[in-house]
Amino acid sequence: MTTMTCKKEDTTNCFVFEGKMALPNQYFVGRLGSKFIIALRDKKKIMGLKCPKCKKTFVPPREYCHFCQTKIDENWVELGNEGVLVNYAVVRYLGKHLPRKVPYILGQIKLKGADTPLTHIVEGVDIKDVRIGMKLKAVFAPKTTNTLLDLDHFEPV
Amino acid sequence: MAEFYGTTVADIFNTMPKRFKPEEAKEEDIAIGYECKGEGKWKVTIKHGTIKVEEVKGDLKGCATTIHAADAETFIGTTLGKIQAMDALTTGKLRVVGDVKLLMTLLPKIFVQYTVPEKKSSVVAKDIISTITERFRPDKAAGVDMKVGYDLAGEGGGKWTIVIKDGKCAVKEGLAKDLTVKMTMPAEIYVGMMLGTISGESAFTSGQVKLDGDMMAAGATSRFFNKFVDPNAQASEAEELITIKVTNSINCRFATGTAYGMWFKGLKEKKFLANVCPKCGRTQITPREICAFCRVRCNEFAELGPKGTITAADVVYFASPDPLTGAVRETPYAMCWILLDNASPQEAFCFDIKREDLPKMKVGARVRPVWAKETKGTFTDLLYFELDK
Repeated sequence: MTTMTCKKEDTTNCFVFEGKMALPNQYFVGRLGSKFIIALRDKKKIMGLKCPKCKKTFVPPREYCHFCQTKIDENWVELGNEGVLVNYAVVRYLGKHLPRKVPYILGQIKLKGADTPLTHIVEGVDIKDVRIGMKLKAVFAPKTTNTLLDLDHFEPV
Repeated sequence: MAEFYGTTVADIFNTMPKRFKPEEAKEEDIAIGYECKGEGKWKVTIKHGTIKVEEVKGDLKGCATTIHAADAETFIGTTLGKIQAMDALTTGKLRVVGDVKLLMTLLPKIFVQYTVPEKKSSVVAKDIISTITERFRPDKAAGVDMKVGYDLAGEGGGKWTIVIKDGKCAVKEGLAKDLTVKMTMPAEIYVGMMLGTISGESAFTSGQVKLDGDMMAAGATSRFFNKFVDPNAQASEAEELITIKVTNSINCRFATGTAYGMWFKGLKEKKFLANVCPKCGRTQITPREICAFCRVRCNEFAELGPKGTITAADVVYFASPDPLTGAVRETPYAMCWILLDNASPQEAFCFDIKREDLPKMKVGARVRPVWAKETKGTFTDLLYFELDK
């Protein structure tokens, strides 16, 4: 039988290199994504796509109906700026690429006229008080960033 | 008649004689039948540079080739290229009886591609003026106190005064006496400017727009309002496409450990330190804690080089990002396997060669290291190897 020993090693020449890697990314939001963001930016309106066959309205936009695969990319409908919180999570992980300081609430909001929820930041309510079923309204960013964050957040009505 | 993509099946047939290119069809003699379910049937006869388009009530007779579309959307979509003809054919929404290949080559040759006629905007100056209060942005106009007069001549025009005061905006008919600035122009120029089809600057410099009063105030007014959106032009509006550019910064930490730490200590002293296996005597460069062959700890270090011999080289034309900075290096560069003097056979060390030496570099060439001016015990201490002449 062999015994294993663990010796404390000489760490005189052990050290750590610090690096900072820049990752330049370019992300095309797509034809429908562009229309969606432009509507947020220019008209302060949230747009969805409606399937004429299933009568379901999808947001954020997608090219094909989730249920029947019908191409729906031309069938834009305007959604209300108010909705109901159907689900939420509290983001506590401290990531430096996150859009807000943690902890913050990431909610799924079913807008008036939509059949799918939109995931976005919920503000103006304490983490302890956030409840499913809350009525929320969209708050648009005063300054455009040409991203989904032109819709800045949702807050209680 | 159903409308798709802003046009109808009849539009396509009605414009056919106009789009026809007689000189391309001098040799042709063919009759093509079209059937579009729910819309009707047409017979197009092309003979030696002439064309005849007729709507047919009964059966399509005397046609060499017939095209059948399941619905107007398919027919218009494929004509405009919004629907791939191949897709429509494979799904059976489009059916061709006769020579498909002939049609595919003949039709683009003898016809100018059909395009949807542009719809002229029916917006008039009055419509735009009526939306001014709802487009007003109080946050942008804080502390502003001005009266802007519009004197718009022509159809849909008129005279209005826009009063901006205390973060509020009101539109009044007629021109006030104490205007900050008055703008006089034809109503159609105003509409063009608001829709973005006419540049305000060129309209002003060409004298179509006249300003009386505070010119700076006139230039500033557009800031106080959201852009006017033509409600009739929704279809053509969103051709703007968005690309998001982000540069993420990732923090990295590389721990050297004991053996690799010695390597960097060596670099600081401009030395190549390899460790030596106590069992097989092999030199490991760069040093690793355990001999890969004998699986024993290697605690002895030996200095190699500093000169060496190239044993192999890869010339790199596609650069990957530097893991420490993300920067992409200049290409081409060569990664050379260099057997330093006193190293065991096969224990070559991989590093860059001087750019200028790339064309002259070959296996067997002698090289020497080039060090940074100041060595700090890091990656950048050893710059590259160069040919030792």
